[in-house]
Amino acid sequence: MTKAVEARDKQPRSFSRVLGNYSFILIFVAILIAYLFINAGATTWNGVMNILRHSTVVGIIAFGMGLAIITGGIDLSVGSMIALIGGFSVEVFNATNSPVLTLLFALAAGFVFGSINGLLIGKVKMPPFIVTLATMMIFRSIAQYYLRSMVRKSIYNMDGTLGSYDAFYGFGQSKLFDLVPMVGVILILVTALMVFLSTSTKYGRTIYAVGSNERAALLAGINVEGVRVSVYTITGVLCGLAAFIWLAMNGAVDPATLGRSNEMYAIAAVVIGGVSMSGGKGKLLGILFGAMSYTIIDKIIASMGFDALINDTIKGSILLVAVFIQSMIPALRKKLRRD
Amino acid sequence: MLEMTGISKSFFGVKVLDDVSFSIDPGEVHALLGENGAGKSTLMNILAGVYTVDAGHVVFRGKPLENTTVRLAESAGIAFVHQELNLFNDLRVYENIFLRKEIIKYFGILSKKEMIARSRELLSQLGVDIQPTAMVSELEPGKKQLLEIAKALHAKAELFILDEPTTSLNTTEIEMLFDIVRRLKAQGKSFIFISHKMQEVFAISDRYTVLRNGQLIQSGNIADVTPMEVARLMVGQQYSEQGAYHERELGETVLELKNLSGEGFRNVSFQVRRGEVVGFTGLKGAGISEMMRTVFGVLPIKNGELYLFGKPVNRHNVRRAMQSRLSMIAANRKENSIIPDFSLLENFYISEHRLSSMRPLIRLRKESVRYRSHRDALSIKANSPFDMITSLSGGNQQKVIIARWLNTQADILLLDNPTQGIDVGSKAEIYRLIQDLASSGKTILVSTLEIQEIQKVADRCVVFYHGSIHSILKRHEITEERVVLSATNAIKSSEVLDQHDQSSRSAG
Repeated sequence: MTKAVEARDKQPRSFSRVLGNYSFILIFVAILIAYLFINAGATTWNGVMNILRHSTVVGIIAFGMGLAIITGGIDLSVGSMIALIGGFSVEVFNATNSPVLTLLFALAAGFVFGSINGLLIGKVKMPPFIVTLATMMIFRSIAQYYLRSMVRKSIYNMDGTLGSYDAFYGFGQSKLFDLVPMVGVILILVTALMVFLSTSTKYGRTIYAVGSNERAALLAGINVEGVRVSVYTITGVLCGLAAFIWLAMNGAVDPATLGRSNEMYAIAAVVIGGVSMSGGKGKLLGILFGAMSYTIIDKIIASMGFDALINDTIKGSILLVAVFIQSMIPALRKKLRRD
Repeated sequence: MLEMTGISKSFFGVKVLDDVSFSIDPGEVHALLGENGAGKSTLMNILAGVYTVDAGHVVFRGKPLENTTVRLAESAGIAFVHQELNLFNDLRVYENIFLRKEIIKYFGILSKKEMIARSRELLSQLGVDIQPTAMVSELEPGKKQLLEIAKALHAKAELFILDEPTTSLNTTEIEMLFDIVRRLKAQGKSFIFISHKMQEVFAISDRYTVLRNGQLIQSGNIADVTPMEVARLMVGQQYSEQGAYHERELGETVLELKNLSGEGFRNVSFQVRRGEVVGFTGLKGAGISEMMRTVFGVLPIKNGELYLFGKPVNRHNVRRAMQSRLSMIAANRKENSIIPDFSLLENFYISEHRLSSMRPLIRLRKESVRYRSHRDALSIKANSPFDMITSLSGGNQQKVIIARWLNTQADILLLDNPTQGIDVGSKAEIYRLIQDLASSGKTILVSTLEIQEIQKVADRCVVFYHGSIHSILKRHEITEERVVLSATNAIKSSEVLDQHDQSSRSAG
């Protein structure tokens, strides 16, 4: 038996193995081609760049989700956290007239909310699903309650008369070298940072170790509690960043709708990206492509003039297809080998 | 009863079994021997209907049975008791026994009463003390093993395949298992017994078959061979059992426990000197694993003092232990040591990273160089450092784990049952490694359930009984009999000394 297994591993990287590891690119390219085909004449550089731009918020939180899933957990609170941090950030901006302070507040708030999740999961050892399900309800409820009872408006609205409003809102619409949307650049920077963190640092390795075999990780000297706390804290900070970007892009927050279902889209992006839901396996790079794949579907539906309500049917089906392909590849590989 | 002839099987073009023949008579215990990867599991999986054969014939009780299915093999009377038991922990004992064969009253309602009564009857026939209504998760490992056999018996099995059944059993439980095997043997049932423990093989088997690299090496009556001969057949080339131990000069005291108590053990005191190899043994659950985990900072110290290199240890945890150049190779490699989704290199480096976290970046080239030097020193047999660790044999996996800790520059190694589930050849290599490490000034505490292992390497032997030290034996006092008597508390610790006095007096 061992012999057979050894022999299998001796084989060089085969086409099917690369396909297995990078199936997210395949899915992305297929959807992109479909979009370009459907959109045919109407495709512009801006149109393509808008895919990147509109993937930013979900993409950034999906990286946090990816980390949580690699440790064998999950973070359902990300969507609500964006609504809460976004809402409060509007108030901070209206009070200070400072985008910088607003950014710092958003990141700090994300740090605090994320570490609440992290401490309950890592230190108190409560199940991640339950903890973040509870904070998902709590965060959104606070965002809505505070708006109704304290702000007394229907949405959190940035004050357009403030001196730095134009600079802040303008940042969300600006383009680097007149080509690439600034928020898309941020998404790519976050991608680079997360890929680097997960593949090239000792800390990144511990995240995978905890998800792969927690007991062995503990006995190998890894601070398992600390890794868990830190992962949810990083997710919180990323949510803070995503909330700030949302403000720059839209200037207002409706706590009833902002980030709703985003946790589900983030999970889907992570899964399409090839990260295993059981933890310990998968590349973060795929998450970028997973998130963009979903944005393109939005665009396709819009350009075909369908009702937006059909959206989730198609997104759900794509998720099924993606997971089906991923689960078929090992069997397919086996078959090819045998023949 | 069973006749397998000319069995051949290949995986991905690699011949795993090559023209192997194998037969069993009714009422026979047949030891199937070979190192990991010799083809034992494949042969048994063919018999049990998991794999199909490329060539060859299987005849069981007069009927052809090759290329069968698991269900058909089962109903023909073949029971495969796996190393990882196939019991449902969250079901009760009787529910496990009657799984898929439930007794039904009417309208599909289960007749619990009858199933419980029949289970009780079955278990008492076997002389096993298990409550039919107990949850399986609450049974000790030994009881689970016996329950597996009871379950197979209930399914009317005639031939039992026992794959390393004694790995997680203590001496008493092994005796119980063997009793049952002998009893069933008298009723004409047959057993295929797969084990790496020679002593047990010779205690229970009638005949043996040795496989090596997928080929049949030798088959015959167990009475006609010695353990040494069999071990040589299994390993192939030169195999030397003795010569592992040699005298060394010991240094200063590096580890001291003073009346240390923790979860599962109490009032444990001993000192270990630099370069010393101390063996620890006792029945399963005697508290040795817990003691080692406490010294390593995994479990809290409840009472007493711990000194490392002469300094008292306060606020102990794993990281501090590692910084004090302490290391532990935990028992049960698969659960407690291996990171299954990691490569060899990643498994090798994971602990060192914890100590060097101030330099946060991974430097692959430097790491591969360091890995290679350890691979050569420990003669780890592997192709590429980027292969998954799960592709290695048990012995090589364990060597990677030992290398993991040597790479942390540890001076004191706590080895908790390091040869569990490892073939004879790798075992011998690990004993040699322990001696070499001790000679180079490392201090080693090694626990094992096999007394012969301690005789091979240890300067002293600490015997635990019920969470406390029963006796500490010097090298020349370590005999199988004395260790067993101490571990079962059949003699008082003072008697051990008396006996020693007498024997030295009579010798003098």
